Amino acid sequence: MRAATPRPWWRRPHVVGPVLAVVAVLLAVSMVRTLTGTEALTGSGVVGATLRLAVPIGLAGLSGLWSERAGVANLGIEGMMIIGTVCGAWAGYAYGVWAGVLAGVVGGVLAGLLHAVVTVTFGVDQVVCGVAVNILAVGVARFLCVVAFNGLPGAGATQSPPVRGTIGTISLPVLAGGWGTPDLLGRLEQTHWFLLSDAGGILRGFLHDVSWFTVVAVALVLGSVLVLWHTAFGLRLRAAGEHPAAADSLGVPVQRMRYWAVLVSGGLAGLAGSYLVTVASNVYREGQTGGRGFIGLAAMIFGNWRPAGTVGGALLFGYADALQLRQSTAVHVLILLAAVLLWMAAIVGLRRRPRLSGVMALLGMTAFAVFQTTDAVPTQLVYATPYLATLLVLVTTAQRLRMPAYVGVPYRRGGA
Amino acid sequence: MPRLFAARLLTTCLTLSVVAACGATGGGTTAGPASGESRAGAGKITVGVAYSRGGRGDKSFNDSVGAGVDQAKAKLGVSAKELSPNAAGSDLEEVLRLLAETGHNPVLAVGFFYAQPLAKVAPAFPHTQFVIIDDATVKLPNVTNVTFREEQASYLVGAAAALKSSTGRIGFVGGVQTPPQEKFIAGYTAGARKIKPGIHISSVFLSQPPDFSGFSSPDKAQEAARGMYDDGADIVYHAAGASGLGVFQAAKAAGKWAIGVDVDQRKTVGQGLADVILTSATKQLDVAVLRIIQDAAAGKPVYGLQEFGLKEGGVGYTTTGGELGDAEPRIEELRKQIIAGEITVPVSPS
Repeated sequence: MRAATPRPWWRRPHVVGPVLAVVAVLLAVSMVRTLTGTEALTGSGVVGATLRLAVPIGLAGLSGLWSERAGVANLGIEGMMIIGTVCGAWAGYAYGVWAGVLAGVVGGVLAGLLHAVVTVTFGVDQVVCGVAVNILAVGVARFLCVVAFNGLPGAGATQSPPVRGTIGTISLPVLAGGWGTPDLLGRLEQTHWFLLSDAGGILRGFLHDVSWFTVVAVALVLGSVLVLWHTAFGLRLRAAGEHPAAADSLGVPVQRMRYWAVLVSGGLAGLAGSYLVTVASNVYREGQTGGRGFIGLAAMIFGNWRPAGTVGGALLFGYADALQLRQSTAVHVLILLAAVLLWMAAIVGLRRRPRLSGVMALLGMTAFAVFQTTDAVPTQLVYATPYLATLLVLVTTAQRLRMPAYVGVPYRRGGA
Repeated sequence: MPRLFAARLLTTCLTLSVVAACGATGGGTTAGPASGESRAGAGKITVGVAYSRGGRGDKSFNDSVGAGVDQAKAKLGVSAKELSPNAAGSDLEEVLRLLAETGHNPVLAVGFFYAQPLAKVAPAFPHTQFVIIDDATVKLPNVTNVTFREEQASYLVGAAAALKSSTGRIGFVGGVQTPPQEKFIAGYTAGARKIKPGIHISSVFLSQPPDFSGFSSPDKAQEAARGMYDDGADIVYHAAGASGLGVFQAAKAAGKWAIGVDVDQRKTVGQGLADVILTSATKQLDVAVLRIIQDAAAGKPVYGLQEFGLKEGGVGYTTTGGELGDAEPRIEELRKQIIAGEITVPVSPS
C-alpha cells in the first residue's frame, strides 16, 4: 500500500485534466487556423467580443449556481435580469452609470426576495414560481418604463433615455499596451506563428480594453469560489442544498441559508441586467435580455454547478456569438475544428474505451466530409451554433454531471 | 342578456384602449368625436388609427405615422381616434373591430403585425376602407396596402458610403433576416457597387425569424459593427431598428461613420452620437399617411398596393450636418435617374 502523501496542487486530477484539455483545444484551434487561414478564430478582436458577450451569461450562470447550491431552483433569472435592466437604466439616467449598476443589483435582490418568500417560506413549487417571476417581470418592466421614462428625451414606453456616463476600460500594461506601454501580445499575434500567436491573440483578447465592470464580474466569480467552498458559511449553504434535513439536525439554519442564497442569486442576476444597460449598450430596451437568463442556466449546467465550469460555459456561448457576429463565414471552419477535436478525443480514448473511440473517429470523418463538401453553413445553422455546441457538450458530459441533491425540493422542518 | 354583456364588454375595451393610448403618449392625443357624432358630421371623415405595439411615443415608427395623422388633422380638418394595442399584442383584432364598428373610415392598421387580424376583420366591414402599412399580403377589395421602396433609399446611402469611404470597405448591420429587410442590403449593395464595383461589403443580420430579438439587441449590433470597423470598414449602415444605437456607439468608439435609418437619426439620436451619422435612409410614413387620408377625405379612396418610393417622396436620404459634402451632387444625380426609371434597384440580394 502506498503512503497517502498528498500530491502538490498542480498534479491533482482536477487541475491536470482541464489544463490538458485547454492545451489540446489550443493545439486543435491553432492547426485549423493555420490550415484554413482563418485568422479570426483566435484573433484578439473575437476573443475580446467573446468576453464582452460572456459577462452577462456568466453572471446569470453564477446567479443560478448560488441559488441551486442551496437547493432552490431558480428559473426566474431572466425576470430578475429584466428588473435589473429597468432599475439600472433608471438610476443610470438619474444619477450616473455606477448608481445604475447598484440599482440593478437592488432591483434583482428585490425580485430574488419575492422568489425566496414564495419558495422558501411558503414552500411553493420552485419551477412554477420561477416561471411566474419571469412573466411578472415583463409586465412590471413595462409599467415602470411607462411611469419613469415616458416623455423624457429619447425615451418612450419601451425604451429609456441614455445612461449618463460610461464605465471605463483598462488594458494590461506591457503585455496588452495599457498606459502607452508596448503591446507585446499584439505584436506576437501579428506574426501569425503556429500556437504562439494563437496563445498571444487569446491572451490579448482577455487583457486588452477590458471594462472595469468585467473586472468586477471576475472578482465576483473568485469571491463566490472563496465564500462557497472555503468558508463555514459556504459549507452550510451547500449543505442546505445537498441534504437539508441532515444539515438541520446539525444546527444549520436551512431556511435562512436558502434566503441568503436566493438573495445573492437575485443580486447577481440584477447585476447581469445592469451590465446590459451600462456596458453592452447605454439604454434600456424592452426585450433586451433576449433569453440570456436561461442561457446562463445552461452555462451553469454545462459547468456542473461549479464556478469555473460555469465561466467556461459562458465563454463558449460568448465565443459562438462573437464569431457569428464578427465573422459569420468563420463558423464553417468550426466544422473542421469539431472534426479535429473528435479525432483527438478518439486517439486519447483508444486504449480505455476503444468502441467509443471508434464512434468518435467516425463522427470526425463525417464532420470532415461535411467540411470538405460544403462552402458555407446555412445561415439558420450559424445562429444555432451556440445551442448546438451546448447540446453536444451536454450530451457528451451528461454522465458526469451531478446537481445538488435537493434542488427543487422545498424543505419543511420535521416534514417528510 | 348577452347583448347587454357585449355592449358592456365593448365599452370596457374602449375605455381601456383609450386609457392605454393616453398612457403611452403621456395623455397628449385628442380623441375623435364619439361614434354617433361622426356619422352625423357629413362630408368630414373620422380616421381610426390602430398603432403598432409600443404605441405613440416610440420616437420612430408609430410617431412617424402620428405625425402624418397630426398633419391631416391640421390641414384637412379631419378628426382621428388613435388607439394602441396592449403590450402582448393580443387584442389587435379587437382594436380594429372597435374602430370600424364605431364608424371610423378609413381605419389605419400600423405595421405588418396587423396582417392576420385585418384579414379577419376587413371582410366584415365592406364599406370601410382599411389601410395597412408595411404589408402587401392582405389582398381584399376594401384594403389599401402601403409599402415603401426602402431599397431605393438604401441604394442612395450605399452610393454615399462608397463615395465617402477611403478604405474601400463598408458594412451593413440588419435586424432580422426577412425579405423586407433584404431590400435594404440589396439596395445598399447595388448603390455602392454602382460607384465602386470592387468595393468590399460585409453584412450581418442579428437574428433569424422567428427570433425577432435582432431589433432590440443594441449590444450585439455594437459587437457586429465593431468587428467591421476592426476589419477596416469605415462606414456601416444599419437597418436594425432600436439595435442601431449599438452601431452608432461602435462608430463613436472607432472614430468612424455610420448611416441611420427610417428617420433623420442625426436629429433624433441625441447629442453625444449625432456627429458619427453621415446620412440616414429615411422612410416618410407621414407623407404616405397624409396622402392616403387626403384621398379618402376627397371622397376618392384608393385601394390595393400603394408603393411609396423616391418618386412619391416616400423615401429619401438626409443631408443634416452637411457631412456628405462634395458627394451630394452625384447622389442627387442617381436619385433623379431612379425617379426617371433609368436605374432599377433590386429588392433581393443577388
